[in-house]
Parts: sequence; structure tokens; C-alpha cells
Amino acid sequence: MNGARARALTATVAATGVAVAVLAVARWGEERFARAGAVTIARSTAAYLAVVTPRARADSGDFNLSQLLVQARALTTLPGWTSPVEVYHETGPLVDATAPPLPAAELAQLRRDEGARWQDGAALVPLRGPGEGDVVGAVAVRPGGRGGLGGWLFGWAFPAALLSVAAAARWAFGRGPRRTYAAAALLLAVAAYADVRGAARGSTDRWLAATRLLLREAATRLPGSRARVALSDLAPVARGGGEGAELVEARSAPERPRRLRVAGATRAVVVARLGTGRWVQVRTSPAEARTGVWLVALLGVALVGPLTLAGLQWVEHGAARPRALREAVTAWAFLAPAALHLALFSVGPLLVSLYLAVHGWGEGGGGGGPGLATFWAVLRDPLVWGSLRNTVLYTLYVPVSMALALGVALVLNRSTRAVRLLRAAFLLPYLSSVVAVALVWQSMMSLGPYDWLGSPRTALLALMVLSIWAQVGYQMMVFLAGLQGIPPAYLEAARVDGANGWQRFWRVTFPLLRPVTLFVLATGVIGAFQVFTYVYVITGGGPLRGTDVVAHRLYQMAWESLQFGRGSALSLLLFLVLCGVTWGQFKLLSRRIEHA
Amino acid sequence: MASVTLRGLTATFEGAARPALRDVSLEVRDGEFLVLLGPSGCGKTTALRCIAGLEDPTAGDVLIGDRVVTQLPPAERDVAMVFQTYALYPHLTVRENVAFALEMRRVPTAEIERRVADVAARLGLTDLLDRQPAQLSGGQRQRAALARAIVRAPQVFLFDEPLSNLEPNLRTELRAELLALHRTLRATMLYVTHDQVEAMTMGQRIAVLHEGRLRQVGTPAEVYERPADIFVARFVGNPGMNVLAGRARTLGKGSGEELVVEAGSLVVPVTLAEYEGQMYLGARPEHVGLSGVDQGVGNGDVLRVEPLGSETIVHLNAGGQPLVARLPGLVNVQVGTRVGVKVDRQRLHLFDAAGERIP
Repeated sequence: MNGARARALTATVAATGVAVAVLAVARWGEERFARAGAVTIARSTAAYLAVVTPRARADSGDFNLSQLLVQARALTTLPGWTSPVEVYHETGPLVDATAPPLPAAELAQLRRDEGARWQDGAALVPLRGPGEGDVVGAVAVRPGGRGGLGGWLFGWAFPAALLSVAAAARWAFGRGPRRTYAAAALLLAVAAYADVRGAARGSTDRWLAATRLLLREAATRLPGSRARVALSDLAPVARGGGEGAELVEARSAPERPRRLRVAGATRAVVVARLGTGRWVQVRTSPAEARTGVWLVALLGVALVGPLTLAGLQWVEHGAARPRALREAVTAWAFLAPAALHLALFSVGPLLVSLYLAVHGWGEGGGGGGPGLATFWAVLRDPLVWGSLRNTVLYTLYVPVSMALALGVALVLNRSTRAVRLLRAAFLLPYLSSVVAVALVWQSMMSLGPYDWLGSPRTALLALMVLSIWAQVGYQMMVFLAGLQGIPPAYLEAARVDGANGWQRFWRVTFPLLRPVTLFVLATGVIGAFQVFTYVYVITGGGPLRGTDVVAHRLYQMAWESLQFGRGSALSLLLFLVLCGVTWGQFKLLSRRIEHA
Repeated sequence: MASVTLRGLTATFEGAARPALRDVSLEVRDGEFLVLLGPSGCGKTTALRCIAGLEDPTAGDVLIGDRVVTQLPPAERDVAMVFQTYALYPHLTVRENVAFALEMRRVPTAEIERRVADVAARLGLTDLLDRQPAQLSGGQRQRAALARAIVRAPQVFLFDEPLSNLEPNLRTELRAELLALHRTLRATMLYVTHDQVEAMTMGQRIAVLHEGRLRQVGTPAEVYERPADIFVARFVGNPGMNVLAGRARTLGKGSGEELVVEAGSLVVPVTLAEYEGQMYLGARPEHVGLSGVDQGVGNGDVLRVEPLGSETIVHLNAGGQPLVARLPGLVNVQVGTRVGVKVDRQRLHLFDAAGERIP
């Protein structure tokens, strides 16, 4: 076996390892959600038992044991009940009398911290006595869903893993491109995430289904009319679903778990019919909304494969050419300060704001754990759309100021003393303090017969005029540099060819300026989208939000309303919009010009 | 086709110490290929740009045919110019580049297509028409620039060192192509170069410029064999002419046979009318020979020997003045030895103290 073959085999084995790791992480995620689901079912079951079982005596802190036995046994006979359940009174099993008793140590532990425990493949939660009393036993629920080998094989992830290993092998043996493996690895991550998300959704659905059965059963077993059962009596059963779980009155609806948008957040709901004309709705925050971190983790693990193999290949090539390796290391050493700065002050804040947005940090966030809820909330905010409209309108000043700047640059593209003075004059506004400029303009614009800043119709226009005034000088300088970079021979050739001034500009100068024009346009649009100071100082977004631009809106969200999550989400959306706009500009305008 | 006439052309750039062109008068005949030759900074490109209309002369006139065009913009002069950098519009294809001037002149589209195709076929550019200039080799760019000039069928072609950016082999090839083009087009062409080999091989006549002044106009043979002054003598030819400073002294009364020039370690008898005092003695390297010590017109020390195969260049120190001899074939001369110097007395050139030729 030669070296190349050995390396290819090693690479394939490594890729297999990574694929298995991804599967393992996915399994782990599924398990966690399944266990969490079992815990919620166990809690709701415990609450149900507490609701329906009478006390042993009026002053007793314990249940009537025979009643508890009946109620526990009845659980397994509920039509549609799927979760294997065991109820312990003290350590004695009630549902399956032949089952081993609960170890005393476990019960003691439950009494101490009253949290959920995991024992022997089942979720174990304390069973409290009537009226939120002491712990008198325990409820154990085994998680549903796939377990064992089936959990590994039946899902999206396994075939995707096979695919990724195949792609890696093809690449390692030189029969396929690296990007195929990278794509397959991405696919694997997404497929594994789909499995985790599915498990999360399934766990919520199973709890909803179980809770629906428990509520209906409780309604029949509580004294009094089924149609008049008090919600407060049943609420503890729903609260077993954890934080955010609640019970509300409802109208009739199909009795299956669904997702609904309630007050801006996605909720997992099921409707239970308690009696004739009496419906209640169980709501909880869906577990799948908390799977974002798993996507990140799975992507991270899955991409280790391609990155490692690419790195190995690079090092191998580098070892063959030590000088190249040394040069690359040196290059990175030189790049390090800039890269560090970039990471610390650009990428870092970006990630922080992503964290803030995903977690809905601050007031009025998405609620209910990390997710995209904050983004949806921002997108549904009419003020955001209004500010976006204002920003887009405001951005229209960029082409106007560019045309002016180019015109001025053409006129000033010579070198005499007067021209140099004029250039400086044009550049001055750009060099002046923005706040000072804003204050001067503010007083100027309210001096005249018409109060430009007083009407929402003209305030934005006034800001645009000010921006043109402030930006023309800078854009002119860039255009001047561009004009001076055009070799005079092209224009002379055009003169000899018979082109007049107009034709020379449109046929030669303007096309050759295209990279510069693109630069000015892209930076101008980005700057216009980020405009803040003028608005903040001069109009404060008014009047009537007529100048409320995106940057100002997100400042308002974050610092006035203290909705940092929403502010971060809006800033990220702005970032995405700008990425798209800039990419579009480059696509449209950047045909490369190579000077021959 | 038309002649080009310069009348007392003077051009001074703002802030320049001396004029780029001083009182240059020159006539380029109809259909002639004239080379403007001179070192860099001599004003030859300025002259060309004045003809094209890209520079305004301070004084004097430019005539194309009988028309005084001095005040006309380039577009109305009907000249085409090929730039040193080719100046092909980088954002246009070869086809668009060639068609540009015709489009500017509102030539009908069908006609443009026909003419572009014609010229492309003539210059072997047909397959390259849709490429951008950056995708062409140096020679192809040169041809494209030529095509752009030819397609207009102008009265006058102006070339500004068009071959200087090319490698030597390609330069030779394109030189021949340009001459063939001139023969078929029979157009008036002005060609600026600093390369005296190009000038000698291409020009029907050569106009030598130095420091803004026209020094000599003539056929290559005239310029080579009867240089008008020391500058032309030294500039034309490779290596250039030996020009030694010396003094003329009359040995006795009577015929010119008795006049000798003492230059360095040489004492050369010359055929010349009476002349007294400082002068310059010129001899082409091929008219200088070696002999035994004290057997020629003087002695020299061998400084350097360049055996080139077909000839050998020997650099000598003749009494403090450099002297170059070009000898046929390979010659066995040792560096550091002293040799005698012979000169072909029929081929000597004499210049007065101001550097002008003494007829």
C-alpha cells in the first residue's frame, strides 16, 4: 500500500469519525428533548394525580392510598395514552405491582431537591401530597420516540452521514471535488438538525397529547358538572409543561397538537373538550424553538471534517514545500494584528448582537428561549417598516450627490492654485464635525420663511440636502483620484478619433471610472443606510416619525425602550439588507477593466 | 493624401526652462515616410502632438496639404495617431476600438462593419475582434492600434514610438509590416523614434531633432555619410562616430595638403582649405584601423575589446580621447597593449569649433 493510498484511507476514516460524531451529537440532542418531554409528562401526571385523588383524611398531608392506586392504574387504560408510566407511593410501585420498588435513596433525593431525576431509563419526578404538600411518592415516565439502534438508523441523519462519508472518500481518493464533501457535510448537519428538531417537536406534541387526556379525565373525575370545572383546579396539570405552559378557555377546535402564533410568539397548543360546550386550550412554548444552539453545534462538528481534511492537505502540501509553509506562517503573523482587530471590533460585536437578538435580550423580546422570534417581532413592527421606507427615500440623495460630485470633479480636474483652493472648499463640510454641521443647519433651516424641519413632508428632504452638501466634497475627491488615474492617452486618442467633449466623457471617461463610481455608490449607500447623527441631532426622527430612519429606530429600540434584543435583531437585518444591496451593486456594475 | 508642413514651429511649455521646439520648419511630402529621430526630450513627440492638434504651438504654423490647421481641433485635421502605449480603450473590444472613430464620425453602421472587417483581415485581426485589449499580446495590441488608425483612411498617419514597448524580434517583424503597409497605402506617415536603427531602416527621409531644434533632414545615407553636426554624427550609427577635439595647424604655405589636425595622440593630415584653431575631427569606427606602433597617424592604448564574430569593436585611448575602431572578423588584440591607428583619410568628417560640419 503506497503513501497516497494510506493517506486517502486515513482521511476517509477521519471523515467517518466526524460523521459518527455528528450522529452522536444528534442522538444526544434527541435524547435530551425526549427526556425533557418525559419529565413534563411525569410532572403533569403527578399534578393530575394530586388533583383527582382525595386526601386520606380531611387533615392528612397524604392521599387516600386506595384511591391513588385506582387513579394510577386508570392512567394506563386511558385511550390514546402511550407513555409507559409508574406511580410510586413512598417506594412502592402502584401501576405494576411486580415492578421493583423505588430505591429509598432516590426518594430521599427527590424529597431533598424536588427536581426531576433520571433513573433506570425513566424520568422521575416527585409526587406531592394534596394541596402542594410534601413529597409522598414519585411518578416515573419513560420517554417515547425512537431509542436504541433505531434511534441511530431511522432519521434523516444516517443516510446523510453515509453520503458525507462517500463524498469524503471520493475526494480523498482524488475522484471528486472538495466542495462536494463540504456540501455533504453541511447536508449532514442540516439533516441531523432536522432529526433533533423533530425529536423536540415530538416531545412537545407528546406532552400536549398526554395533557389533553389528563385534563379530560380530570374533568370527569372532579366533583360537580363537567361543563363548570374551574380552570384553576386544572391549571396545575398544564403547569407541568414547565415555564410558559398555561391553560386558557377556548372554543372548539380539532383536538390535536398544533402551533399557533399567540401575541407575537409561536406557541404549541392543544384543545381539550372537557364537556358539552366546554373547551380549554393548553399552551406551552414549543421545544423546537430552543433547538437553535443544536444547529450551531451540529454545523460546528460537521464542518470539522472538511476543515480538518483541507488543513491536512494544506499542511501536507506545505511539508512538501517548506518555503511555502514558512511564507504562509509569516503572512499570518503579519496579518495577525489586523485580523485580531477585525475579530475583536467587527466580528465580535456582530456575534454579540446575534446573541442578544436570538435570546431576545431586554424588554419585549421574543420570549420563551432563544430563537427567531425577536426577528419576527421586529419584522412585524410597523415602525420598522416606516423607518426602512424613510431610509430608502433618504438614500436617493446618493445618486444626486454623486452626479454633482462627478461634475465638480470634472471641472476641478486641473492643477492651478485657484482650483486647489476650490477643492479644499468643497471638502471642508466633509471634514467638519458632524454634530456642529447638524446644529448649524438646524438653525439655518428654521430661519427662513418656511420651516423645513417642521413638516414631515420636507424634513427628510432637508436632511437629504444637508447630506448632499456634506458628502459632495468627499465624493469629488474620490472621483478626482479616479480621473487622475485614467491615462491621458485614452482621451487624447479619443480626441484624435474625433470624439467631442460629451462623447469623450460618456464613451471613455465614464466607463473607465466605473470601479470608482461603484466604490462611491457602494460606500454612499452603506453610509446612507447607516445615517444616524443628523437625524438624532436635528430632528430626533420627527416630525411625526417623518425622518425616523433605521439606525435611529434601532437606537430607539435599544437605548430608549431598552429592547436590546430587538435593536440587535434590527441591526442584523440592516446588515443583511446592506450585504444584499452591495452585492447587487457589485454584480451589476463591476465588470473588471484591465488596463492594457 | 497630403503633405505636412511645419513653419517655424515653436512650442514652450508652461514653467519649462527652454522651449520644447524652436523654430522647426519641415516639409513631409505627400506619401512620404519620414522619421523624426532624436534622444528623449528632444521635442520629437511634441512636434508630432502639434501636428495631431494635441498641443498648441506657441508660434508657427502646421499645414496639412494647403490647409493651415494650427487652430483646428484634432478631429478636424484628418490625422490618425498610433500612441506609444497604443491607448486602446480598455473597456471596449478590438472591434469597438477600431470602429470608435467611425462611430464618432457617424459613418453608417453597415459601412463601419465592412471597413472594420476589411482592416481586420488586412492586419490578421479577424479572430481577435471580440477580445478586450487586455487579452491581447503586445504585437496584437500593436496591430489593433494600427487597425484603429488605418480604418479611417486619414490623410496623415502619426506614429509615436509605436514599437518601443515590444521585444526585439517582434519589433523587426512589425517594422517590415509597417513598411509594407506604407507601400500599399501610399499614405503620408510621420514616425517618431529614438532608435536610430529604426530610423535608418524605415525612413525615406530622417529628420534629426536635438534640444528642440531640427539638426538635419535627409535620406538615411545623407544623414549617415554627411552628418550636419557633431550631435548627428554621434547619434546616428552604432557605435556612433568618433569625434575628437583637436586643433588644425598649417604646416606650411600653399595647398591644403599641409594642414594637419592634432587630436589627442593623433596627428591627421587633412584635405581642407585654410583653417586655424580649434576644430573637431570625425571618423566612423569602420574607417579606423589598427597598425603597428608608430606606423599610423598616431598610437592608442587598447582599453576594451568586444569580439562580436562578424566584427570586433576595439575601444582605444588616444591621448586622453576615446576612439572606437570597428574591424572586420575576429582580431587578436590584447587589452593594455599600445597599437598604431590608421584612418581612412577619404572618409574623414571635419566640424568647426561650434560643431557644425565643415563642408
